[in-house]
Amino acid sequence: MPELLLEIGCEEIPAPWLPELGRQLETQLSKLAGAERLSPRELAAVWTPRRLALRAVVDTRQPDLEEQVFGPSLKVSRDASGAWSKAAQGFARKHGVTPEELQDAPKDPASPDERFLLVSRHTPGRPARDVLSGVFAGLLRSLSFPKRMSWDARLDDGKEGFPFGRPIRWLIAVLDGEVVPFTIHVLATDGQGDAPVESGRSSRGHRFLPREAAGRPVEVGSFADYVAKLEESYVIVEPERRERRIREGLEAAGATGAEVPEGLLTEWRDLVEYPTVVRGGVPEEFRRLPAEVLRTVLVHHQKYLPLADASGTVTGFAAVTNAAESAAPAIVRGMERVVVARLRDGAFFYDEDRKRALADRVADLAGVTLHQGLGSYADKAARLEALIEKAGAAVMEPAERADACRAARLAKADLTTLMVGEFPELQGVMGGLYLEAEGGAPAGVPEAVRWHYHPLSVDVDSAPAGQVQGRGARLFAAVSLADKLDTLAGYFGLGLVPTGSRDPFGLRRAGQGAVRVLLDFWPGGEGRPRPSLRRWVEAAAAGFAGSVKRSPDEIAEELNAFLLDRLRYVLGARGYPADEIEAVLGAREPEALDDLGEVRARIEALHGVRASAREDFDHLAVAFKRAKNILAEQAPPAVDPEAFQEEAERELHAAVSRLNGAGSQSYDAALRGLASLRAPVDRFFDDVLVMTDDRRLRENRQALLGAALALFYRIADISRLGG
Amino acid sequence: MSSLQEIRFALERYWHERGCLIHQPWDVEVGAGTMHPETFLRVLGPEPWRVAYVQPSRRPADGRYGDNPNRLYKHQQLQVILKPAPDDVQEQYLKSLQAIGIDPADHDVRFEEDNWESPTLGAWGIGWQVLLDGQEITQFTYFQQAGGIDLSPISAEITYGLERIAMYLQDVEDVYELAWSGDIRYGSVRHEEEYQLSRYSFELADVELHRRLFESYLDEAWRLLGREERRTALAAYDWCLKSSHAFNVLDARGAVSVSERAGMILRIRKLACAVAATWAAGDRPAEGAGA
Repeated sequence: MPELLLEIGCEEIPAPWLPELGRQLETQLSKLAGAERLSPRELAAVWTPRRLALRAVVDTRQPDLEEQVFGPSLKVSRDASGAWSKAAQGFARKHGVTPEELQDAPKDPASPDERFLLVSRHTPGRPARDVLSGVFAGLLRSLSFPKRMSWDARLDDGKEGFPFGRPIRWLIAVLDGEVVPFTIHVLATDGQGDAPVESGRSSRGHRFLPREAAGRPVEVGSFADYVAKLEESYVIVEPERRERRIREGLEAAGATGAEVPEGLLTEWRDLVEYPTVVRGGVPEEFRRLPAEVLRTVLVHHQKYLPLADASGTVTGFAAVTNAAESAAPAIVRGMERVVVARLRDGAFFYDEDRKRALADRVADLAGVTLHQGLGSYADKAARLEALIEKAGAAVMEPAERADACRAARLAKADLTTLMVGEFPELQGVMGGLYLEAEGGAPAGVPEAVRWHYHPLSVDVDSAPAGQVQGRGARLFAAVSLADKLDTLAGYFGLGLVPTGSRDPFGLRRAGQGAVRVLLDFWPGGEGRPRPSLRRWVEAAAAGFAGSVKRSPDEIAEELNAFLLDRLRYVLGARGYPADEIEAVLGAREPEALDDLGEVRARIEALHGVRASAREDFDHLAVAFKRAKNILAEQAPPAVDPEAFQEEAERELHAAVSRLNGAGSQSYDAALRGLASLRAPVDRFFDDVLVMTDDRRLRENRQALLGAALALFYRIADISRLGG
Repeated sequence: MSSLQEIRFALERYWHERGCLIHQPWDVEVGAGTMHPETFLRVLGPEPWRVAYVQPSRRPADGRYGDNPNRLYKHQQLQVILKPAPDDVQEQYLKSLQAIGIDPADHDVRFEEDNWESPTLGAWGIGWQVLLDGQEITQFTYFQQAGGIDLSPISAEITYGLERIAMYLQDVEDVYELAWSGDIRYGSVRHEEEYQLSRYSFELADVELHRRLFESYLDEAWRLLGREERRTALAAYDWCLKSSHAFNVLDARGAVSVSERAGMILRIRKLACAVAATWAAGDRPAEGAGA
């Protein structure tokens, strides 16, 4: 079967776009060529920054197409005189036949008498080469880029313009060795003529390698030939092979132990056509800088991988180049110059910043505006302290609360340091480091300052998981929660609430962070009550009383709903099905925000136990949906065992009483016990008529069902399971 | 080892040989070569245009009193505009590096995504920063919009940071150590200027005067644009540039609050867009004069 090779040769496409573009190329060709009946298969996309390529197998030609097209009803096909009606003539004309050639048939086998005009159409299949030529315009237009550019190009499809990710400079379209013709028109430099890009079989190798033959065209045939010939021209088109080459290069450079930050390897791989790993050094004089500063300079600014010695000191870096090994010494000299210039700035900032205590900088925050309507960061620091003082009273001992307030006061002070001015991603981190370097801060305070912008992702393992413990974790949690709720309450107070895809202040992320602090980071236990999100929200909203247009009550109400929604999102992101989330949150809705640790324990139990007793739970869900429908609006009186008439009532009552008397046990154990209700509940519904006319009997039975439901309500409203 | 001026000569000659008009710097304070009317206005409209020039670019907030080896109040940009962009524009650029002694085969030369936007000019483009062994040496942009007007044809803008490139080629780590000519250092030409102008922008500039200037510059530009007879866009544009510089001085002086900032930028942008619209509507040279 014929093989299609397509290569779109571009100017450098941003690395982060490439994997997605490769996927799109496969999906879109599959869709478009599929619609043309070419049965595309065995699709494989490869890429480098300068090319998107695709291999696919298609049929040699389309199969012939037999179609039956229905027209007007037979009844209206002839007029009173028996001549063909206008409708019939029109239908025939449209399909290029005479009315005499029309047939008729019923559309619906169930109504054989209602017949319609019918034309049978035979379309001979066309060769794949002709068809594909017509598919490419749609294929190129279907690719979606995070940002497109206009580049004075157009296609022959009659549409206006042809924006693309980057200009296309060459195009390969070869089907079984033969070129599939396709043209992109590009404005010539005289501003009038056409400098077209025509499809061919000629690719381009590496821009600069091999030195003696760089830029020479590379003629290719099959996909295998393409991959091999380009490799000879220093272009490794398969991303996974570039990745492997980088891994091998790292090993050879002695960087085996270094942990490559997430995403860096993929980015490295997609920034170059011929990856070569080189190794550079960090001069002795800069190794005293905090590892975070070194890492920021190396990773964030230069995309280099820090290499540490056995003691953990960063002594060098590994980097990926797009060059030959022989050029490495000159390249590394250049890279080291850039690193040194940046680190020299870093060292200067580090020394300058430490000339003042962090606490002395808090006053300077008055000059740093948070938002026009929300005052300065000095105002914010004051609000955070008040918030922790107020909302923390119920859940923190006075000494601990005082330290949390201190951390909150200092949390934003590093915004005025030179280091954060230059490297904004180090906010929080520098505050923590400077506090530690000053010494004298109570235990946990530097950690709280350092991590308070976190958690940034919904991922359960994300920072500061594992970085903060005990008292440090509580201080962190208090400052982080206060910071996020203050931000949320402020913007909500101004009416700047996220809508649709617009969330310019990152409020959804702040909401998720607040929820996560309570789900994952505020340790309970030791007889300490856990914080209520609602109480904190109330206190945060009170911080804006009189300073924003909405009242604290309005803010709190809207914010609670928003946070409940964020809670759903976080739980969903952890893989809990929507029905389990609704069951847990729906059971005790108003209180869900009062104890998120509890919510987490309940959903974990429900998820685990339900998985091991799926059938029982599905069954109970159906039964309790039914039960809910027949429960009275008003709670009936207590169950009266004397009024039972059926054995099934007694049995269910006995089971409910036994479970009620089980005393305190884990949610897990409780749910397992509750699953045993299946049989008595079933029997109850089989044998007992609840909605009887005898009011006393009816209310007693409703009360019994209510008691059974209530057993679950402590954990989840299981009638919501199963959608 | 090439001196700063030899690097400049080589690039100007290179682009001269490729059909560029070699122009002069604009004689009003600007923050970047893009603000020169030979870029900002010439990229509008259909006429092809090729031009190159060095533009001293003033950025008051970047002044460091001559103390920082890498940052300057005023640096030199060598700017090239190719309209429309030729299909081998990247190759032409890479050959220009060879013209100043950088053989890309001996280095790691990359085009990494870096889009450009000027809020004050209502202009933006798609492109890259060109990295030479990890050091940014050029900004490469396909202009998409200028003065709020969608462009067609698309111009390629190549902006070389001359000091950066010279530091690399001369292997010096302090800009003031650069050889400007064979025997005169950058520092002896410019260090005092850096000190005095930094001091002016951070300490001495009269804030009230600059506020008045900012307003007056805008007023004068709008007065010109509001006249009934045409052919005032170029004169108005100079006042627009002046207002932008006055804003930059106020900003460096710490006299612009966060809330004020966006509003002032918007006022300059509105003016720049009005100038561009007036120019595009007919205030430019007669057909053919620019070709």
